[in-house]
Amino acid sequence: MYVADFRADAAAQPANPMAATLADFKKRVDGFLTVHKAAVDKVGALDLTKSPKEIADRETALGEALRAARKDARQGDILTLQIGKVFRGIIRKEFARRSRLALKNREEAQDELPAFTPTVNQIYPTTYPLATFPPALLKELPELPKPIEYRLVRQNLILRDSEANLIVDVLPNAAPPTNALGE
Amino acid sequence: MPQRRRLLALAVVVAVSVVAGIAQDLQLPLKSNSIRFLVMGDTGTGDSEQYETAAQILKWRQKFPFTFALMLGDNLYGSERPQDFVKKFERPYRALLDDKVEFNAALGNHDDQNQIYYKPFNLDGKRYRTFKKGAARFFVLDSNYLDPEQLKWLEKELEGAGSDWKIAYFHHPMYTSATRGPVIELRAALEPLFVKYNVDVVFSGHEHLYERIYPQKGIYYFTEGGSAKLRAGDITKTSLTAAGFDTDRSFMLVEIAGDELFFQTISRKGATIDNGILARRKVRTDLSPARNPATPVHQ
Repeated sequence: MYVADFRADAAAQPANPMAATLADFKKRVDGFLTVHKAAVDKVGALDLTKSPKEIADRETALGEALRAARKDARQGDILTLQIGKVFRGIIRKEFARRSRLALKNREEAQDELPAFTPTVNQIYPTTYPLATFPPALLKELPELPKPIEYRLVRQNLILRDSEANLIVDVLPNAAPPTNALGE
Repeated sequence: MPQRRRLLALAVVVAVSVVAGIAQDLQLPLKSNSIRFLVMGDTGTGDSEQYETAAQILKWRQKFPFTFALMLGDNLYGSERPQDFVKKFERPYRALLDDKVEFNAALGNHDDQNQIYYKPFNLDGKRYRTFKKGAARFFVLDSNYLDPEQLKWLEKELEGAGSDWKIAYFHHPMYTSATRGPVIELRAALEPLFVKYNVDVVFSGHEHLYERIYPQKGIYYFTEGGSAKLRAGDITKTSLTAAGFDTDRSFMLVEIAGDELFFQTISRKGATIDNGILARRKVRTDLSPARNPATPVHQ
């Protein structure tokens, strides 16, 4: 079972706590990727097509396959308490380095998002835009394999499967509140 | 609308009216073997303004037979059901599609990334890509998610682009006088590469208006995010603004011939709102603003 495997893996940790946390994160992400690949095997790969229906149907099917495979997934399965602590530190430190204008940009990108609270296994609302992810922050966070990506939804950091448009995990209070930006 | 903005919007209208007298004529030279293309952004509303702008594009294509189009992102707003692709893209541009005009889309913040699989957008299953037309090399970037891998790829591609015109396009503007302002972090990440590898011109959308920026570090920047959506009166003229139009929808026609790039920006009603000639960066001897045969708006 996907979730149970992660919990078992977390028991074996190397000596350096930061390296151990990042190694644990990688292992958990790789675990999700295995589930993603199995779901792709089930629904089939998507080739270039002139048919928007084919694209939409495949996105829906992949999302459903992933949700079924991860029906017991819970917030924090990948972005664990320990990983969350490290990521919050990275994000807040990086935000603190930004200029007022850069912080204003981030606030405005978030303003385009209607208020919604992301949850694990939720399809990212298809009519909402995606806030641009700060390139400087992407340099600081561990790289993610395709099709997983980071996104900020207000203060929440989410891991999103971009092929399935599925929210894989959520780290709440990862970023400073927008009304605190630029102060 | 604040009074300053109202006045500015009025100034734009007046300026456009002045230009409108000469506005119906094609200002592009139609040189033999030139590269001809359309630039439009933030198109995917499916509303009447998109259709009217598309009809105007078609009219101008009779005078300026471009063979491909750049789409600057937000290709589909809101839902992306199969019928939305029809309403917001296939139907308004049907005549162009039927005539084999090649659309080359970039992804905007309203676009589902699975658009990369939609053949008519020519993204070839990638969020970012490069393609060549004659002596021009185009770099399509995903400004929504500028990860280290994309930057590495861009540097490699720019390095290998040789002496071609280098034209980058993506959704979010690095320079703009629109109210929301430029995406400063994008500028920090991309500008050093653009300067180092002699990028000539950058096109962006996102802001729902047209704007031409005075050259920055030798690079020309255009925002054309008003081909269906509009933020009326949104330009606050700054020292960056060479020309702007924020009272109606618009699109750009571009022609590259040798070391010169000719552009003409046209409104939904068919008026020319800006035009000019840019010299290729590599051969430019100074960094003076674009030469403008017509009176540019905001000057």
